Amino acid sequence: MNVLIIGAGDIGFQLAKRLLLEKHNIIIVEKNPHQVKRANEQLDAMVVEGHGASFRTLKKAQLESADIVAGMTDQDEVNLMACMMAKRVGVPTTIARVRNPQYTAPDFILKPEDLGVDLVIHPEKETADAIVRLIHQSSATDVLEFEGGRIQLLGIRLEQDAPILRVPLKELGQRFGNPPMRIVAINRKQRTVIPRGEDILVRGDQIFVISDPEYIPEFIELAGKSETRIDNVMILGGGLIGQFIARRLSREINVKIIESSAEKSQEIADILPDTLIIHGDGTDIDLLALEGITEMDAFIAVTGDDETNIIATLVARHLKVPRTIALVNKVEYLPITPTIGMDAVVSMQLITVNAVQRFIRHKQIASINTLPGVDAEIIEFIARPKSKITQKPLRKIHFPKQAIIGAVMHNGELIIPRGDTQIQPDDRVLVFMLPQARTEVEKFFK
Amino acid sequence: MRFGSVIHILGFLMVFLSVAMVIPVPFSLYYGDQDYLALLSASGITLVCGILAFLFTRFDQELRPKEGFAIVTLGWLVFSFFGSLPFIISGYIPSFTDAFFETMSGFTTTGATILTDIEALPHGLLFWRSLTHWIGGMGIIVLSLAILPFLGVGGMQLFKAEVPGPVADKLTPRITETAKILWGVYLLLSAVETILLMLAGMNLFDALCHTFGTMATGGFSTRNASVGAYNSALIDFIIIFFMILAGTNFSLHFRFLRGDWRAYFRNVEFRFFMTIIGIALLLVGADTFRNHYSDPFEGLQKTLFQVVSILTTTGFGTADYEHWAFSSQFVLFTLMFIGGCAGSTGGGLKVVRIFILFKFVFSEIVRLLHPHAVVPVRIGRTVVPRDVMGNILGLFVLFMIIFVTGVFVMAALGLDIDSAFGAVAACLGNIGPGLGSVGPTDNYAHIPTAGKWVLAALMLMGRLEVFTVIILFSPTFWKK
Repeated sequence: MNVLIIGAGDIGFQLAKRLLLEKHNIIIVEKNPHQVKRANEQLDAMVVEGHGASFRTLKKAQLESADIVAGMTDQDEVNLMACMMAKRVGVPTTIARVRNPQYTAPDFILKPEDLGVDLVIHPEKETADAIVRLIHQSSATDVLEFEGGRIQLLGIRLEQDAPILRVPLKELGQRFGNPPMRIVAINRKQRTVIPRGEDILVRGDQIFVISDPEYIPEFIELAGKSETRIDNVMILGGGLIGQFIARRLSREINVKIIESSAEKSQEIADILPDTLIIHGDGTDIDLLALEGITEMDAFIAVTGDDETNIIATLVARHLKVPRTIALVNKVEYLPITPTIGMDAVVSMQLITVNAVQRFIRHKQIASINTLPGVDAEIIEFIARPKSKITQKPLRKIHFPKQAIIGAVMHNGELIIPRGDTQIQPDDRVLVFMLPQARTEVEKFFK
Repeated sequence: MRFGSVIHILGFLMVFLSVAMVIPVPFSLYYGDQDYLALLSASGITLVCGILAFLFTRFDQELRPKEGFAIVTLGWLVFSFFGSLPFIISGYIPSFTDAFFETMSGFTTTGATILTDIEALPHGLLFWRSLTHWIGGMGIIVLSLAILPFLGVGGMQLFKAEVPGPVADKLTPRITETAKILWGVYLLLSAVETILLMLAGMNLFDALCHTFGTMATGGFSTRNASVGAYNSALIDFIIIFFMILAGTNFSLHFRFLRGDWRAYFRNVEFRFFMTIIGIALLLVGADTFRNHYSDPFEGLQKTLFQVVSILTTTGFGTADYEHWAFSSQFVLFTLMFIGGCAGSTGGGLKVVRIFILFKFVFSEIVRLLHPHAVVPVRIGRTVVPRDVMGNILGLFVLFMIIFVTGVFVMAALGLDIDSAFGAVAACLGNIGPGLGSVGPTDNYAHIPTAGKWVLAALMLMGRLEVFTVIILFSPTFWKK
């Protein structure tokens, strides 16, 4: 398909990179010459220099022949304007990144249809949601939800005294009474592997589990962790993400925001009455100590600057804050975050790119996700009557070894599949796979 | 440097080359020559070497600019080396130096030959000689990009390193699509020219060989007297027309074929290209119309042919310009440096660069008068980015340094000064015929062995626009 991406900033760039892997034709419109240069050098795409809300520029970028237009600049108005023009010339699918929540509030006068947008993505809001999930599930490194929360995927790092260590995976079921969960991947020494029955878990492994949410507290104990109650949270960075998180949490939890700009501190203090706003530098240890960082149950670093977030999180970990969550946007940094001891990491770019990709492919699949720092994809397929996967029981279909079926939703019921399970048409099948297995897995669902 | 990836792709290119070597075989058989044996065995050797290189190495990850430059330069060297095998094996050009020179001259679309009697060559070899032009004209990398999908992003690096001009034009989102379009247009124009030449009286063999020479702006002919041998005004004008097309940016042809009728005349570079042809025609015509041709039509035919042939760096001949006035010869000599448009198959510095250099000089004058003025250099309405400007100035200086050094080396090897200037300009600009003892009616056979290697190196530098080749010799390139 021809995809026209407006904006080659971090999000647009990552989106282009991902869509190129799926063999789409990419045209990018970007006004900053440096970004144009970077895109030209690193992407097999056509880059048009110009303003995304200018029709002439869009015409030069072959707007008429685009199948999808994705407005990914950090200016809502440019994104929306581009989508409106795209709809007017008959582009079938439009996607806009929108920061300002007012534009999609129920009382806003223009509906997305009026704006010509088929999908509105709020990267800041979705990132905030992901962080809030991690606060609620405080021992996980990653939390993803599927089927409206009926299935959860949890990433968790194993502690020394976890009961499930040193047991071959195939015996886990017997020993712990066939729990409704499946270990779908192990991240060990920065390599992601799909586990086999003989594999044994060791301390320090990060494992990914697909499970019924009700079983999760029990499983967290098996992994050697205990859920800590979170009462006090410190947020570094009072940008949009910080504000969203504060708004979501401040009803039940004490929230403090540290913001370095005096002006912005004033501004957010006005709009967030339940939250304490501190004006100061978040990497200043004295200030953090003064504000009682040692008494905090969680520390969330969500400034716009990756380096600040990383350093501040490391400082917080050093001061023994039990739960730290950092926003890291540079995709290149994601693989190193576990090595330097960071606990949970969220990437706004990945979240946005996942959302766009899910929407583009929504006809074949129900969802697609990737996790920061893990070289794998989690795709939820819908089985068709003619799909290869529905023809025989799983044991007999030779599913690729680099992929694993984590869960099946059959008539609204969660099944953890076994060798004798046979997948029925219209079942939703959650597959965890390494990237190299993707084309082969897709063949099973055609 | 990831040698594995480089050798892997070179192996792939060699497989291509071996296939190309089979193409002349039917002509050899049709004319009852024996040279198909040489072509087939050369093809076999290339195929085996290519497959070995391909099988014993792995392509890992993406290509970095470093590997890109290495692949392009080494690719051209490998092509010239294996491409010379048919000449050597058949015994028609027994010396390796001569065969390599001839093949390099073919692939770089120079058209300088060491053959004293071209017509003595059998048809298969003649065809192969012209085919090297055609393959090299649009570029071996551009061809492989059209067929090799896995190069992806790295492909852009290769593309930039091979396609002539300051900025590589992307016609479509994907580089492989752009490469396919360029080859498609090239193929189409070649087919049209072949048909026209046949209608004008050539047989299929001659028509194809001359089309290869024209569309690639090469210059190898199948006749000792070049295109002049046909003595036909119709053929001359067909070839003039297609030399101009070959010297024009191919993306303009694409736009034109897609229905943008004004594509050519909206393009500043093309207009400047036409202006240069006009001025050169006037300057040379002032001499030739008066002193050499009594019939004005014949005067136009001969003068225009030589001007276009030299400017587009083709190098076909229908008249011996060495009999013309020195002023006319000097005009032609100057044209050698200008060359075709960016994105064409022509050599030289490229019209757009000359245009930008002129504009740059004018902007400097304005700046002297108004010290605080901000004067961007523009082509039409678009501003030339500063880094492109720097690149053009750098290339110009480097080009001149190489030219001067080349002339010195050739003079030191015993050439007279006319011939040294002519040979170096003609090889560096990928033209073919030069001045003095390497003029349009002469050849390069008498150049000493060392000189042939120097000239072959100049051809490669000219074709790949100097930087791509020079970079391999810079210490920074080899630093880890």
